[in-house]
Amino acid sequence: MIYLVLALAVCFVLGGLAVASNPSPYYGVVGLVLASVAGCGWLVSLGASFVALVLFMVYLGGMLVVFVYSVSLAAEPFPEGWVGQGVVGYVVGLILVMVVGIVVGDFVGSWKFGVDTVDGVGLLSVRLDFGGVAVFYSWGVGMFLMAGWGLLLALFVVLELVRGLSRGAIRAV
Amino acid sequence: MSPYTKLIITTSLLLGTTITLSSSHWMMAWTGLEINTLAIIPLISKSHHPRAIEAAVKYFLTQATASALILFSSLINAWTTGQWDITHLTHPTSCLLMTTAIATKLGLAPFHFWFPEVLQGSSLTTALLLSTVMKLPPISILYLTSHSLNSTLLTIMAIASAAIGGWMGLNQTQTRKILAFSSISHLGWMTIIVTYNPTLTLLSFYLYTIMTSAIFLTLNTTKATKLSTMLISWPKMPTLNATLMLTLLSLAGLPPLTGFLPKWLIIQELIKQEMAPTTTIMAMLSLLGMFFYLRLAYHSTITLPPNSTNHMKHWHLTNQVTFPIAIFTSMSIALLPISPMTLPTP
Repeated sequence: MIYLVLALAVCFVLGGLAVASNPSPYYGVVGLVLASVAGCGWLVSLGASFVALVLFMVYLGGMLVVFVYSVSLAAEPFPEGWVGQGVVGYVVGLILVMVVGIVVGDFVGSWKFGVDTVDGVGLLSVRLDFGGVAVFYSWGVGMFLMAGWGLLLALFVVLELVRGLSRGAIRAV
Repeated sequence: MSPYTKLIITTSLLLGTTITLSSSHWMMAWTGLEINTLAIIPLISKSHHPRAIEAAVKYFLTQATASALILFSSLINAWTTGQWDITHLTHPTSCLLMTTAIATKLGLAPFHFWFPEVLQGSSLTTALLLSTVMKLPPISILYLTSHSLNSTLLTIMAIASAAIGGWMGLNQTQTRKILAFSSISHLGWMTIIVTYNPTLTLLSFYLYTIMTSAIFLTLNTTKATKLSTMLISWPKMPTLNATLMLTLLSLAGLPPLTGFLPKWLIIQELIKQEMAPTTTIMAMLSLLGMFFYLRLAYHSTITLPPNSTNHMKHWHLTNQVTFPIAIFTSMSIALLPISPMTLPTP
């Protein structure tokens, strides 16, 4: 069973690698989908199934859809593919960075993937991730409001940056 | 920019700074820093010039990386110790990561490369915000975590910042880049003392904020972004020019002006900690900064450019010297006599 979590972790890292070394955003988002699916699977294996489902829905059902719509409005007719100019160089370079990070950070010695779980046992106890969401709305409402304001602010900032069509900050729009 | 956008940006800047300053949980500190980063991006790219857009992108990428490092450091600490308190950062990996994250947020060498270009791409008032208000949350985090940060790395970064701030500022003609390197060098002075007496870091930061606000606001009155503009700004506001010279020398750390106070107290504390070679090196590296401050003062006040003989002070003034300039200038020239207040009360 531990190898399932290891496989999910490897897929997560490979997805991140694909995003970072993408030749064009259309192929980068494939890596993002792979990384988010693997991340959701990893969270489920740790016991946080509610948070995993929320991540899945918001990431793939929200952000990915918005990305697809915006990309279809501003599409390149001939994007570069995976077999292209400098893609292999990027992939090799990022694999080297990963190997250096694993060796220097000494992650090889402790294969502790998915050993600890975060949910408690019992008949009437609340699951930790679901209980955490409840805390977010009750005792942690300050953080909720601040996080909500931060997200709304991101929307306003993006709207301000693309305002003005071709006279605005992002001139390609 | 539309007034609604300005309101949202101003509110978010104040909110983000207040959240980080008043937080004891790492999540709230990180949230405040992210809100600040997001809110200032439209301000940097306001002029829609390609240099401004590039500056906004560079600022966003570096600050987002630093915020991610802060998040990772606090997560590692929470995973191993089980608590999220800012003052109780104990795991060694967390401490090292946090040191580099704070250095990137502030612009300490060797993580300073974004700072001159971001400042050059923004207007003078936005550059003022970037040098003073946006440094306040990271300095507060530096103050709160000063006992847990890696002191060797901090000392190395401080000396490197003083060196780079001094040397790189020597070849600049754009005033915003000169002030960026001056900021880097002052951050070096603030960082070298943080593990021994963090109160001196705060004092140094407050006085630096006052002096650099005076300089930025003065330069903004005549829109002096280059040395050549400073050369011809004397007929517009002669009094402001004279006070500009004194404020620049105060920023350089010359007694009997205010800027001498932090350097004096920091040198005293470092000598008490038996770090005399470090102190000598820092003092010598500040001399490099002294040269370009003197050059700025020379170009603005000490020299008059070749002009016709009947060239006089302009009679029609279009730009006004505002109230904050008067406040900050007088504070940055005349605050040295408050130094006995830094002594501990008996």
